[in-house]
Order: sequence, then structure tokens, then C-alpha cells
Amino acid sequence: MSTTDTSALAVQSATSATGRRFSPLASAKFKQNLRWTNWAPAVITFVIAAALWQITAIANPYVIPTIDQVWVSLIKDADTYWANMLVTGLEVLVGASSGIIAGFILAIIMAEFQVMERAVMPLVVVVMVTPIVAIAPALVVAFGFGMTPKFIVTALVVFFPMLVNSLAGLRDVDDRALDVMKTLHASRWEIFRDLRFTGSMPYVFAGLRIALPLAIVGAAVAEFVAAGQQAGLGSLVTIAAAQANLPVTWASIALLCFMGVVLISLLALVRKRVLWWSDGAAVGR
Amino acid sequence: METAQPHAGVHIENVSKSFGPEGARTLVLNHVSLSIKMGEFVSVIGPSGCGKSTLLKTVAGLIDADSGTVMVDGMTVKAATKNKMIGLVPQSPALLPWRTVLDNVRLPMRVNPKANANRNLRDPREILESFGLGAALDKYPGQLSGGMQQRVAIARAFVFDPSVLLMDEPFSALDEMNRDAQRLGLLDFWQSNRKAVMFVTHSVPEAIMLSDRIVVMGAHPGHIAEVIDVPLPRPRTIDVYATDEFRDLEGHVRETLREVMGQKSA
Ligand SMILES: Nc1ncnc2c1ncn2[C@@H]1O[C@H](COP(=O)(O)OP(=O)(O)OP(=O)(O)O)[C@@H](O)[C@H]1O
Ligand SMILES: [Mg+2]
Repeated sequence: MSTTDTSALAVQSATSATGRRFSPLASAKFKQNLRWTNWAPAVITFVIAAALWQITAIANPYVIPTIDQVWVSLIKDADTYWANMLVTGLEVLVGASSGIIAGFILAIIMAEFQVMERAVMPLVVVVMVTPIVAIAPALVVAFGFGMTPKFIVTALVVFFPMLVNSLAGLRDVDDRALDVMKTLHASRWEIFRDLRFTGSMPYVFAGLRIALPLAIVGAAVAEFVAAGQQAGLGSLVTIAAAQANLPVTWASIALLCFMGVVLISLLALVRKRVLWWSDGAAVGR
Repeated sequence: METAQPHAGVHIENVSKSFGPEGARTLVLNHVSLSIKMGEFVSVIGPSGCGKSTLLKTVAGLIDADSGTVMVDGMTVKAATKNKMIGLVPQSPALLPWRTVLDNVRLPMRVNPKANANRNLRDPREILESFGLGAALDKYPGQLSGGMQQRVAIARAFVFDPSVLLMDEPFSALDEMNRDAQRLGLLDFWQSNRKAVMFVTHSVPEAIMLSDRIVVMGAHPGHIAEVIDVPLPRPRTIDVYATDEFRDLEGHVRETLREVMGQKSA
């Protein structure tokens, strides 16, 4: 009697869970995203902002350029912009990835060995409160006008949010899952491999979300300081601004902005693939 | 059954434990002694904060007692965890949301593999199927109901054939209908896989339904107030609830709990 009761209930709950698949939910969500109530408000805001910009630009021709002036500049000198964007892009790519990897690895070391946190964290904080704008010229003096100081500045800017977020993520494990692991006499490596590493990913992605836009800031600031020798959108901004060339200045700014948007969108795509399990209701917590 | 082994099961002797900083320590467990024989199902019940989880955690090797000894199958707890002899079912399922049900149940095999030798490891698929989860093997925990998740957690504790099972209010998050189904399922499975079980609960009917003995704990400091035998015949079914013996036992346990709680407020 008891057996039939339980198995009947088990079957019932099993089928009810089968009906609750991921894909219909996901596609429903996608459709919802396409609904005009979702995208229209943002579009309206952008249109209003553009209109205000245009009116201000026409009224103050020596303060900001009109949108069409910027557009014309972008088309006319597309090759130059593209080349400069590649330079900045390379700086962001190399600088950010080294900063991300270094931040995550140091976070792992600190999470596993508390002594390391006590030993190294104060130094990290000291470096991080030093204004990056002040470090950049010093690095140029040390490493010249090449790419090296730009890589370093970008990596530095990215490093801190990655370290702090990854560390928080590696520490915030499900205590009860940890209890289960400990009762099995899991080694530290096994706990890291099966629990901490993947469990830290929501925090890691939160860190990336802060770090990636900062990487562009880092690259641009480094270029401001070392403008002249090497190209890059940041250099372009300083040079054009010094010549009061408004369209080029703002076209470069717009491209920096565009790079940021592309990075964030890519991140959101990767996040969806990696963190599918952490969205929606928290599981097992 | 291996009841012949003299040391088989759990032996807790004179265990005391305090928490808190030096000078402001509060005694949570006061000279607690309890034995659970191989194949015996023992429930622990008592007011909130009386130290049930603390006692369970000392047996699981998660907390070291200040004094006293805990032995599992004649070994220290440390040696027992090294040999993967203890299965733990925590209060929440605590499954890995990024792993399938099957992989979650395989976890105990993947971890500490040295201890896998010479033991009767079960087939994770088979055990999940016997838990009514055959259709959910490749699903992720987020796709399961709370009751199903808890069953996966129980399967994870049974799969590596530990000699002792520790469960800390495993069904407390479920609704009453579901709880009954889970209890009967657990009982069914345990009937054919007799382990020594220590089962912490807040529910009197649950304790009676499942146990051979019920340990009633009192608080301030945590101690064992009374151990009540449950002589109901096995295998038990849902019909047990309706018997006079059950009602008498329920009255007895509730009365003991009232006395224990009364002490506290006096
Ligand atoms: N790590 C700890 N540090 C300090 N105090 C603790 C710790 N763990 C438990 N306690 C205290 O010990 C007492 C017993 O806690 P325990 O969790 O064992 O109670 P419990 O009987 O399981 O209660 P519940 O039924 O609410 O789960 C409580 O007063 C709690 O505050
Ligand atoms: Mg508890």
C-alpha cells in the first residue's frame, strides 16, 4: 500500500516537472523582450536625447558638433577611425584579459590561503586608491610611448573589481553543500573543483560587468597621457580636442562608447551560456 | 544484516560542546550519550535551539566536541569520514544547480575516490529510479520540485553505501502532502537498506512513523530528556497513523516535549 502510494505520487510529480521545461519559458521571455513596451521607452529616451543634442549643437556651434557633422566625419575618415579603434581594441583585449586572469588567480590564492589575503590585500588596496590618471604618466616615463604602459594601466584598472568580486564568489559557497563535501572528506582541491569554481561564476560575471567598461577607460586614459607616438581613439580625442576639431573629437568618443556597448553585449551573451543555472529562482539555497 | 558486529553503529559518549568566545561561552550540549545500532532508525526531537543540529554535526565530523567521544563503527569520526562511512542529508537539498541530477548523485563517488575500494557502491541510475526519479536523470535541480530535489539529496547520501545516515530535518521545507510521500518513500527504501539512521525532526508523527526510538532533547543546556521506544511493527504503512498505539505514542511524546519546554520557561 505504501509502495503504490509513493510511486503514484512520484510519477505524478515527475510528469508535472516534465511539463515545466526550460525552452518554452525561454522563448516566452524572448517574445516578451520583443514586445514594444519593452524596447520603446529606451528608444524614445534616445530620440529625445538626440533631438536635445542637435538643438544645443545648432545653437552653440563652437561647443559641440551636430550629429550629422560627426556622422560625416566617421564616413569620410572611416579608415583612420578603424585603425585607431583596432589599436585601442588591442589594448583593451590584452590589458583586460591579463587583469581578469591575474585578478581571478589571486582571488583563488587568497580564498584558499587566508594568510595571503592578509599579506597582499593591503598592498592591493594601496595601489588601487592611487589615481590611475596619476600612475599613467609615471608608467609612460618608465616604459616609453609604446603599448606596454597602456596594457599595464588597463590591466590595473580591471584587476581590482575582478579580485574583489571573485574572492566574494569563491567564499560564498552553499554551506550545506560544503557540509556534504566535508562529510565525504573531500580535499580542498575537490571542494574547489566541484563547488567553489563554478559557484563563484555569478560573482565573476558581476565583476566583469564592472571591469570591462573600466578597461576602456583605462586604455583611453593611458592614451591621453602618451598621445602622439602611438595611435588609438584616446589619442585621437586629445589631439582633435587640442585642435578644437569638434567632429573628430566626438566621433572618437562615440566609437569608444560603441566599443563599450559591444563588450557589454558580448558579456551578456557569454553570461547567458555560462550562468543559465543561476538565473531565476536560486536553487538549493 | 550486520548487527553481530559489536561496534557497528554510532556511539556518542558524554559529549559536551560550548560555543562563543572565551569567558562568554554557552553550553549547548551537556554530557550527551546515545547509541544507534546498525540498522536502527533513531529520531531526535526537541525545542528549537536545543542542540539537535549541533549533535548531528559532531557525528558528521563538522564540529569537534569539547569533551566526550563519538565513534562510528568502532572508528573515530575522522577515520569514518576518511572512509566515507557517513551519509549526510542537510536541511536543504544543497544540490549543485549546474550539474544534472545524475551527476549530483555521482558526486560522492567523484570525491575522495580512495575510499571507494571494497565497498558496495550502488548504481546511481538504479537508485534514482527506485526513488521515482528515473525520468529526471538528465534534468537539472532547478527543473525539479522541492520534494524531488530532496529525494535526490537522499539518493546522494545512500549511493556510496555509508554505514550511517544523518538527516537534519530533510523534509521540513515540504508541504504536508509531500512530506508524507517522502517519509513513506524513505521508509520503504531504508527497510531494504538498513543503515544506522539519526534523523532530526520537529514533527512528532514523522518521528513515530519512521523510528525505532525517539530521543527527546531539552534545552539550556542541550541534553537528552528521555528516550522513547517505538514498538510499532515494520514494515509500516500509512495505516499506522490510525492505530491506537500510534495515538498513545504521540500523546506520550507530546507530553514529554511539553515537560521539556516547561522546564525551559520555569
Ligand atoms: N557555530 C555556532 N556558533 C555559536 N553558536 C552556535 C553555533 N551553532 C549553534 N549555536 C548555538 O547553539 C544552540 C543550538 O543550536 P542548534 O543549531 O544545534 O539547535 P537545533 O536544536 O538544531 O535548533 P533548530 O531546531 O532550530 O534547528 C543555539 O542556541 C545556537 O545559537
Ligand atoms: Mg537544527
